[in-house]
Amino acid sequence: MHELSLAQNLLDQLLQLSKQHDAKIVTKATVIIGPFSGIVVESFAFGFNAIKQDHPPTATADLILETPAPEYICLDCNTINTGDAGTTNEHPKAVYETINDKLCSACGSSRLSPSGGTELILKQLEME
Amino acid sequence: MCDVCGCQLHDHHHSDSKIVEVNQSLLEANQKQAASNKTHIEKMGAIAINLISSPGSGKTTLLERTIDELGDSVKIGVIEGDIETERDADRIRAKGVPAVQLTTGGACHLDAPMVHGGLHVLEHFGKGKGFDIIFIENVGNLVCPATFDLGEHHRAILLSVPEGSDKPVKYPTTFKGADLFMITKTDLLQHFDFDIEEAKSEALKIQPDLDILCFSSTTGEGFDQWITYLKNLLSA
Ligand SMILES: Nc1nc2c(ncn2[C@@H]2O[C@H](COP(=O)(O)OP(=O)(O)OP(=O)(O)O)[C@@H](O)[C@H]2O)c(=O)[nH]1
Ligand SMILES: [Mg+2]
Ligand SMILES: [Zn+2]
Ligand SMILES: [Zn+2]
Ligand SMILES: [Zn+2]
Ligand SMILES: [Zn+2]
Repeated sequence: MHELSLAQNLLDQLLQLSKQHDAKIVTKATVIIGPFSGIVVESFAFGFNAIKQDHPPTATADLILETPAPEYICLDCNTINTGDAGTTNEHPKAVYETINDKLCSACGSSRLSPSGGTELILKQLEME
Repeated sequence: MCDVCGCQLHDHHHSDSKIVEVNQSLLEANQKQAASNKTHIEKMGAIAINLISSPGSGKTTLLERTIDELGDSVKIGVIEGDIETERDADRIRAKGVPAVQLTTGGACHLDAPMVHGGLHVLEHFGKGKGFDIIFIENVGNLVCPATFDLGEHHRAILLSVPEGSDKPVKYPTTFKGADLFMITKTDLLQHFDFDIEEAKSEALKIQPDLDILCFSSTTGEGFDQWITYLKNLLSA
Protein backbone atom coordinates (compact mmCIF):
# COMPACT_ATOMS: atom_id res chain seq x y z
CA MET A 1 0.00 0.00 0.00
CA HIS A 2 2.71 2.53 0.82
CA GLU A 3 4.51 1.41 -2.33
CA LEU A 4 1.69 3.01 -4.30
CA SER A 5 2.10 6.35 -2.56
CA LEU A 6 5.85 6.20 -3.20
CA ALA A 7 5.21 5.34 -6.86
CA GLN A 8 2.99 8.42 -6.96
CA ASN A 9 5.95 10.49 -5.66
CA LEU A 10 8.03 9.12 -8.53
CA LEU A 11 5.34 9.92 -11.07
CA ASP A 12 5.01 13.50 -9.76
CA GLN A 13 8.79 13.93 -10.00
CA LEU A 14 8.85 12.64 -13.58
CA LEU A 15 6.04 14.92 -14.67
CA GLN A 16 7.70 17.91 -13.08
CA LEU A 17 11.15 17.14 -14.50
CA SER A 18 9.88 16.45 -18.00
CA LYS A 19 8.10 19.80 -17.97
CA GLN A 20 11.12 21.57 -16.60
CA HIS A 21 13.32 20.07 -19.33
CA ASP A 22 10.78 20.72 -22.02
CA ALA A 23 10.51 17.05 -22.90
CA LYS A 24 7.45 15.39 -24.37
CA ILE A 25 7.94 11.94 -23.02
CA VAL A 26 9.93 10.14 -20.40
CA THR A 27 11.42 7.02 -21.95
CA LYS A 28 13.28 5.62 -18.99
CA ALA A 29 13.57 6.25 -15.26
CA THR A 30 16.18 4.55 -13.10
CA VAL A 31 15.38 4.18 -9.43
CA ILE A 32 17.51 2.73 -6.64
CA ILE A 33 15.66 0.82 -3.93
CA GLY A 34 17.83 0.00 -0.93
CA PRO A 35 17.63 -3.52 0.53
CA PHE A 36 16.54 -2.16 3.94
CA SER A 37 14.15 0.49 2.66
CA GLY A 38 11.11 -1.56 3.66
CA ILE A 39 9.83 -1.21 0.12
CA VAL A 40 8.68 -4.28 -1.76
CA VAL A 41 10.26 -3.87 -5.19
CA GLU A 42 7.55 -5.75 -7.06
CA SER A 43 4.72 -3.74 -5.54
CA PHE A 44 6.51 -0.49 -6.30
CA ALA A 45 6.95 -1.46 -9.97
CA PHE A 46 3.37 -2.70 -10.18
CA GLY A 47 2.06 0.55 -8.69
CA PHE A 48 4.12 2.73 -10.98
CA ASN A 49 3.18 0.83 -14.14
CA ALA A 50 -0.48 1.14 -13.21
CA ILE A 51 -0.52 4.89 -12.62
CA LYS A 52 1.93 5.99 -15.32
CA GLN A 53 -0.71 5.38 -17.99
CA ASP A 54 -2.85 8.24 -16.72
CA HIS A 55 -0.35 10.79 -18.01
CA PRO A 56 0.86 11.04 -21.63
CA PRO A 57 4.47 12.02 -20.74
CA THR A 58 4.97 8.91 -18.58
CA ALA A 59 2.63 6.46 -20.29
CA THR A 60 5.41 4.49 -21.96
CA ALA A 61 8.20 5.13 -19.47
CA ASP A 62 10.37 2.11 -18.67
CA LEU A 63 11.09 1.74 -15.00
CA ILE A 64 14.58 0.38 -14.34
CA LEU A 65 15.08 -0.69 -10.75
CA GLU A 66 18.49 -1.07 -9.18
CA THR A 67 18.61 -3.13 -6.03
CA PRO A 68 22.05 -2.86 -4.44
CA ALA A 69 23.36 -5.79 -2.43
CA PRO A 70 22.74 -5.52 1.31
CA GLU A 71 25.67 -4.65 3.54
CA TYR A 72 26.16 -5.74 7.11
CA ILE A 73 28.58 -4.29 9.57
CA CYS A 74 30.19 -6.66 12.06
CA LEU A 75 29.50 -5.37 15.56
CA ASP A 76 32.70 -6.98 16.80
CA CYS A 77 35.31 -5.89 14.24
CA ASN A 78 33.49 -3.29 12.08
CA THR A 79 34.15 -5.15 8.84
CA ILE A 80 31.53 -4.52 6.17
CA ASN A 81 30.22 -7.82 4.80
CA THR A 82 28.30 -7.80 1.53
CA GLY A 83 25.29 -10.09 1.20
CA ASP A 84 23.73 -11.53 -1.92
CA ALA A 85 22.27 -8.96 -4.28
CA GLY A 86 18.50 -8.96 -4.01
CA THR A 87 16.45 -10.03 -6.97
CA THR A 88 13.48 -7.89 -7.88
CA ASN A 89 11.16 -10.46 -6.36
CA GLU A 90 12.67 -10.37 -2.96
CA HIS A 91 10.81 -9.03 0.02
CA PRO A 92 12.92 -6.91 2.40
CA LYS A 93 12.61 -9.39 5.23
CA ALA A 94 14.04 -12.17 3.07
CA VAL A 95 17.13 -10.04 2.54
CA TYR A 96 17.80 -10.04 6.26
CA GLU A 97 16.98 -13.70 6.75
CA THR A 98 19.68 -14.68 4.26
CA ILE A 99 22.33 -13.22 6.53
CA ASN A 100 21.02 -14.74 9.70
CA ASP A 101 23.17 -17.88 9.59
CA LYS A 102 26.19 -16.13 8.10
CA LEU A 103 29.30 -15.18 9.98
CA CYS A 104 31.65 -12.21 9.61
CA SER A 105 34.19 -12.95 6.89
CA ALA A 106 36.95 -11.35 8.96
CA CYS A 107 36.40 -12.52 12.54
CA GLY A 108 33.66 -15.17 12.41
CA SER A 109 31.26 -13.26 14.65
CA SER A 110 27.52 -13.80 14.15
CA ARG A 111 26.72 -10.26 15.24
CA LEU A 112 26.10 -8.76 11.81
CA SER A 113 23.96 -5.65 11.66
CA PRO A 114 22.32 -4.14 8.54
CA SER A 115 24.21 -1.10 7.37
CA GLY A 116 22.73 1.70 5.24
CA GLY A 117 20.44 0.52 2.48
CA THR A 118 17.33 2.51 3.41
CA GLU A 119 17.38 4.67 0.29
CA LEU A 120 14.77 5.26 -2.40
CA ILE A 121 16.41 7.42 -5.04
CA LEU A 122 15.48 8.64 -8.50
CA LYS A 123 18.88 8.26 -10.10
CA GLN A 124 18.52 9.04 -13.76
CA LEU A 125 15.97 10.04 -16.32
CA GLU A 126 15.85 9.68 -20.09
CA MET A 127 13.48 11.96 -21.98
CA GLU A 128 12.62 12.87 -25.53
CA MET B 1 5.62 25.48 -37.02
CA CYS B 2 7.61 22.72 -35.49
CA ASP B 3 7.41 19.63 -37.67
CA VAL B 4 8.08 17.20 -34.88
CA CYS B 5 5.19 17.97 -32.61
CA GLY B 6 3.14 20.32 -34.75
CA CYS B 7 3.08 23.08 -32.18
CA GLN B 8 3.32 26.83 -32.86
CA LEU B 9 6.42 27.37 -30.77
CA HIS B 10 9.74 27.75 -32.53
CA ASP B 11 12.08 28.09 -29.62
CA HIS B 12 11.94 24.55 -28.34
CA HIS B 13 14.00 21.66 -29.48
CA HIS B 14 13.57 17.94 -29.93
CA SER B 15 16.88 16.36 -29.30
CA ASP B 16 16.47 12.63 -29.73
CA SER B 17 17.12 11.79 -26.18
CA LYS B 18 18.11 13.68 -23.13
CA ILE B 19 19.63 12.06 -20.06
CA VAL B 20 19.40 13.83 -16.75
CA GLU B 21 21.17 12.68 -13.61
CA VAL B 22 18.70 13.38 -10.83
CA ASN B 23 19.96 11.55 -7.74
CA GLN B 24 17.18 12.78 -5.54
CA SER B 25 15.44 10.92 -2.77
CA LEU B 26 11.79 10.19 -3.41
CA LEU B 27 11.25 10.49 0.31
CA GLU B 28 12.61 14.02 0.35
CA ALA B 29 9.26 15.80 0.49
CA ASN B 30 8.30 13.75 3.53
CA GLN B 31 11.69 14.32 5.15
CA LYS B 32 11.46 18.09 4.71
CA GLN B 33 8.02 18.17 6.28
CA ALA B 34 9.26 15.92 9.10
CA ALA B 35 12.09 18.35 9.85
CA SER B 36 9.63 21.21 10.01
CA ASN B 37 7.30 19.17 12.25
CA LYS B 38 10.18 18.62 14.64
CA THR B 39 10.82 22.35 14.90
CA HIS B 40 7.10 22.90 15.37
CA ILE B 41 6.98 20.36 18.23
CA GLU B 42 9.99 21.97 19.90
CA LYS B 43 8.36 25.40 19.63
CA MET B 44 5.39 23.88 21.43
CA GLY B 45 7.87 23.05 24.20
CA ALA B 46 7.50 19.31 23.70
CA ILE B 47 9.18 16.14 22.49
CA ALA B 48 7.35 13.60 20.35
CA ILE B 49 7.38 9.81 20.47
CA ASN B 50 6.22 7.78 17.47
CA LEU B 51 4.66 4.45 18.53
CA ILE B 52 4.80 1.72 15.90
CA SER B 53 3.44 -1.82 16.18
CA SER B 54 1.17 -4.40 14.58
CA PRO B 55 -2.56 -3.89 15.19
CA GLY B 56 -3.52 -4.67 18.77
CA SER B 57 -0.05 -4.81 20.36
CA GLY B 58 -1.24 -2.50 23.09
CA LYS B 59 -0.36 1.06 22.01
CA THR B 60 -3.55 2.75 23.17
CA THR B 61 -3.70 0.75 26.41
CA LEU B 62 -0.10 1.78 27.14
CA LEU B 63 -1.06 5.42 26.64
CA GLU B 64 -4.11 5.11 28.90
CA ARG B 65 -2.07 3.66 31.75
CA THR B 66 0.79 6.12 31.17
CA ILE B 67 -1.63 9.04 31.48
CA ASP B 68 -2.92 7.57 34.78
CA GLU B 69 0.57 7.08 36.17
CA LEU B 70 1.92 10.47 35.18
CA GLY B 71 -1.14 12.35 36.41
CA ASP B 72 -0.71 16.11 36.23
CA SER B 73 3.08 15.99 36.50
CA VAL B 74 3.56 15.81 32.71
CA LYS B 75 1.38 17.52 30.09
CA ILE B 76 0.53 14.98 27.43
CA GLY B 77 -0.95 15.34 23.96
CA VAL B 78 -1.82 12.47 21.64
CA ILE B 79 -2.11 12.16 17.87
CA GLU B 80 -3.89 8.96 16.88
CA GLY B 81 -3.49 7.40 13.45
CA ASP B 82 -6.05 4.89 12.29
CA ILE B 83 -7.46 3.81 8.97
CA GLU B 84 -10.99 4.60 10.18
CA THR B 85 -12.87 5.70 13.33
CA GLU B 86 -12.27 8.03 16.25
CA ARG B 87 -12.24 5.20 18.79
CA ASP B 88 -8.65 5.48 19.96
CA ALA B 89 -8.81 9.27 20.31
CA ASP B 90 -12.04 8.90 22.30
CA ARG B 91 -10.28 6.51 24.69
CA ILE B 92 -7.57 9.12 25.30
CA ARG B 93 -10.04 12.02 25.62
CA ALA B 94 -11.91 9.99 28.24
CA LYS B 95 -8.77 10.40 30.35
CA GLY B 96 -8.96 14.19 30.03
CA VAL B 97 -6.00 14.43 27.65
CA PRO B 98 -6.19 16.33 24.33
CA ALA B 99 -6.21 13.93 21.39
CA VAL B 100 -6.42 14.42 17.63
CA GLN B 101 -7.62 11.56 15.46
CA LEU B 102 -6.06 11.31 12.01
CA THR B 103 -7.92 8.87 9.79
CA THR B 104 -5.89 7.85 6.78
CA GLY B 105 -8.84 6.53 4.76
CA GLY B 106 -7.00 3.38 3.76
CA ALA B 107 -3.34 4.33 3.94
CA CYS B 108 -1.29 1.95 6.05
CA HIS B 109 0.93 4.54 7.75
CA LEU B 110 1.03 8.15 8.89
CA ASP B 111 3.23 10.55 6.96
CA ALA B 112 4.73 13.90 7.91
CA PRO B 113 2.12 16.10 6.13
CA MET B 114 -0.73 14.35 7.99
CA VAL B 115 1.04 14.85 11.31
CA HIS B 116 1.64 18.50 10.43
CA GLY B 117 -2.12 19.01 10.25
CA GLY B 118 -2.54 17.10 13.51
CA LEU B 119 -0.03 19.30 15.31
CA HIS B 120 -1.94 22.46 14.44
CA VAL B 121 -5.17 21.01 15.80
CA LEU B 122 -3.46 19.69 18.92
CA GLU B 123 -1.84 23.07 19.53
CA HIS B 124 -5.29 24.61 19.48
CA PHE B 125 -6.59 22.09 22.06
CA GLY B 126 -3.67 22.76 24.35
CA LYS B 127 -3.94 26.54 24.30
CA GLY B 128 -2.62 28.17 27.44
CA LYS B 129 -1.48 24.87 28.88
CA GLY B 130 1.13 23.56 26.48
CA PHE B 131 2.66 20.10 26.13
CA ASP B 132 5.65 18.20 27.44
CA ILE B 133 5.22 14.97 25.49
CA ILE B 134 3.28 14.32 22.30
CA PHE B 135 2.64 10.66 21.61
CA ILE B 136 1.93 9.80 18.01
CA GLU B 137 0.21 6.42 17.77
CA ASN B 138 0.87 5.22 14.24
CA VAL B 139 -1.50 3.05 12.20
CA GLY B 140 -1.25 -0.56 13.39
CA ASN B 141 1.31 -1.99 10.95
CA LEU B 142 4.84 -3.21 11.55
CA VAL B 143 6.13 -2.52 8.04
CA CYS B 144 5.06 0.70 6.33
CA PRO B 145 5.30 3.29 9.13
CA ALA B 146 9.05 2.63 9.35
CA THR B 147 9.63 4.35 6.00
CA PHE B 148 8.06 7.65 7.05
CA ASP B 149 9.75 10.00 9.48
CA LEU B 150 7.12 12.12 11.20
CA GLY B 151 9.47 14.56 12.93
CA GLU B 152 9.47 12.55 16.16
CA HIS B 153 12.35 12.73 18.64
CA HIS B 154 12.08 9.07 19.59
CA ARG B 155 10.72 6.08 17.76
CA ALA B 156 9.35 3.17 19.77
CA ILE B 157 8.48 -0.27 18.42
CA LEU B 158 5.99 -2.30 20.45
CA LEU B 159 5.86 -6.07 20.21
CA SER B 160 3.35 -8.03 22.27
CA VAL B 161 4.12 -11.45 23.71
CA PRO B 162 1.42 -13.29 21.66
CA GLU B 163 3.06 -12.11 18.41
CA GLY B 164 6.22 -14.14 18.98
CA SER B 165 9.86 -13.32 19.60
CA ASP B 166 10.94 -13.84 15.98
CA LYS B 167 9.57 -10.47 14.86
CA PRO B 168 12.85 -8.53 14.98
CA VAL B 169 14.34 -11.02 12.50
CA LYS B 170 11.27 -10.80 10.28
CA TYR B 171 10.99 -7.01 10.29
CA PRO B 172 14.59 -5.75 10.40
CA THR B 173 13.80 -2.48 8.63
CA THR B 174 11.34 -1.55 11.33
CA PHE B 175 13.78 -2.26 14.15
CA LYS B 176 16.68 -0.60 12.39
CA GLY B 177 15.08 2.84 12.64
CA ALA B 178 13.97 2.49 16.27
CA ASP B 179 15.27 4.06 19.49
CA LEU B 180 13.19 2.01 21.89
CA PHE B 181 11.90 -1.55 21.76
CA MET B 182 8.95 -2.25 24.07
CA ILE B 183 7.92 -5.83 24.75
CA THR B 184 4.28 -5.61 25.84
CA LYS B 185 1.74 -7.90 27.54
CA THR B 186 4.41 -9.61 29.66
CA ASP B 187 1.58 -10.88 31.90
CA LEU B 188 0.95 -13.41 29.09
CA LEU B 189 4.51 -14.84 29.07
CA GLN B 190 3.42 -18.00 30.90
CA HIS B 191 0.95 -18.83 28.11
CA PHE B 192 3.23 -18.31 25.09
CA ASP B 193 6.67 -19.56 24.12
CA PHE B 194 7.98 -16.02 23.69
CA ASP B 195 11.74 -15.99 24.21
CA ILE B 196 12.63 -12.58 25.64
CA GLU B 197 16.36 -13.16 25.26
CA GLU B 198 15.96 -14.08 21.58
CA ALA B 199 13.86 -10.99 20.90
CA LYS B 200 16.36 -8.75 22.69
CA SER B 201 19.51 -10.18 21.12
CA GLU B 202 18.09 -10.16 17.58
CA ALA B 203 16.85 -6.60 17.98
CA LEU B 204 20.23 -5.48 19.32
CA LYS B 205 21.98 -7.06 16.35
CA ILE B 206 19.91 -4.92 14.03
CA GLN B 207 20.10 -1.76 16.14
CA PRO B 208 22.89 -1.88 18.74
CA ASP B 209 21.85 1.39 20.43
CA LEU B 210 18.31 0.22 21.09
CA ASP B 211 16.83 0.74 24.57
CA ILE B 212 14.62 -2.16 25.61
CA LEU B 213 11.75 -2.20 28.11
CA CYS B 214 9.36 -5.01 29.07
CA PHE B 215 6.00 -4.29 30.66
CA SER B 216 2.35 -5.16 31.07
CA SER B 217 -0.33 -2.50 30.89
CA THR B 218 -2.69 -4.91 32.64
CA THR B 219 -0.66 -5.62 35.78
CA GLY B 220 1.56 -2.54 35.67
CA GLU B 221 4.69 -4.71 35.80
CA GLY B 222 7.64 -2.81 34.32
CA PHE B 223 5.87 0.55 34.40
CA ASP B 224 8.29 2.06 36.92
CA GLN B 225 11.11 1.73 34.39
CA TRP B 226 8.95 3.17 31.61
CA ILE B 227 7.96 6.19 33.70
CA THR B 228 11.60 6.73 34.69
CA TYR B 229 12.59 6.40 31.03
CA LEU B 230 10.09 9.10 30.04
CA LYS B 231 11.22 11.43 32.82
CA ASN B 232 14.83 10.98 31.72
CA LEU B 233 13.89 11.87 28.15
CA LEU B 234 12.18 15.00 29.42
CA SER B 235 15.11 16.13 31.51
CA ALA B 236 17.69 15.32 28.80
N1 LIG C 1 -3.09 -9.30 28.65
C1 LIG C 1 -2.85 -8.05 28.22
N2 LIG C 1 -3.65 -7.49 27.29
C2 LIG C 1 -3.38 -6.23 26.89
C3 LIG C 1 -2.27 -5.49 27.40
N3 LIG C 1 -2.24 -4.29 26.78
C4 LIG C 1 -3.30 -4.27 25.93
N4 LIG C 1 -3.98 -5.44 26.00
C5 LIG C 1 -5.19 -5.80 25.23
O1 LIG C 1 -4.86 -5.91 23.86
C6 LIG C 1 -5.94 -5.44 23.04
C7 LIG C 1 -5.46 -4.38 22.08
O2 LIG C 1 -4.96 -3.27 22.82
P1 LIG C 1 -4.87 -1.80 22.22
O3 LIG C 1 -4.21 -0.97 23.27
O4 LIG C 1 -6.19 -1.35 21.72
O5 LIG C 1 -3.89 -2.06 21.01
P2 LIG C 1 -3.41 -1.01 19.87
O6 LIG C 1 -1.99 -1.34 19.60
O7 LIG C 1 -3.73 0.36 20.29
O8 LIG C 1 -4.34 -1.46 18.65
P3 LIG C 1 -4.57 -0.69 17.24
O9 LIG C 1 -4.70 0.77 17.56
O10 LIG C 1 -5.83 -1.28 16.73
O11 LIG C 1 -3.39 -1.01 16.39
C8 LIG C 1 -7.01 -4.95 23.99
O12 LIG C 1 -7.95 -5.94 24.16
C9 LIG C 1 -6.24 -4.71 25.29
O13 LIG C 1 -7.04 -4.85 26.42
C10 LIG C 1 -1.44 -6.13 28.38
O14 LIG C 1 -0.46 -5.59 28.88
N5 LIG C 1 -1.77 -7.41 28.74
MG1 LIG D 1 -4.75 1.84 19.24
ZN1 LIG E 1 2.05 -0.13 3.28
ZN1 LIG F 1 33.90 -9.31 12.38
ZN1 LIG G 1 7.66 20.84 -31.24
ZN1 LIG H 1 2.15 24.46 10.01
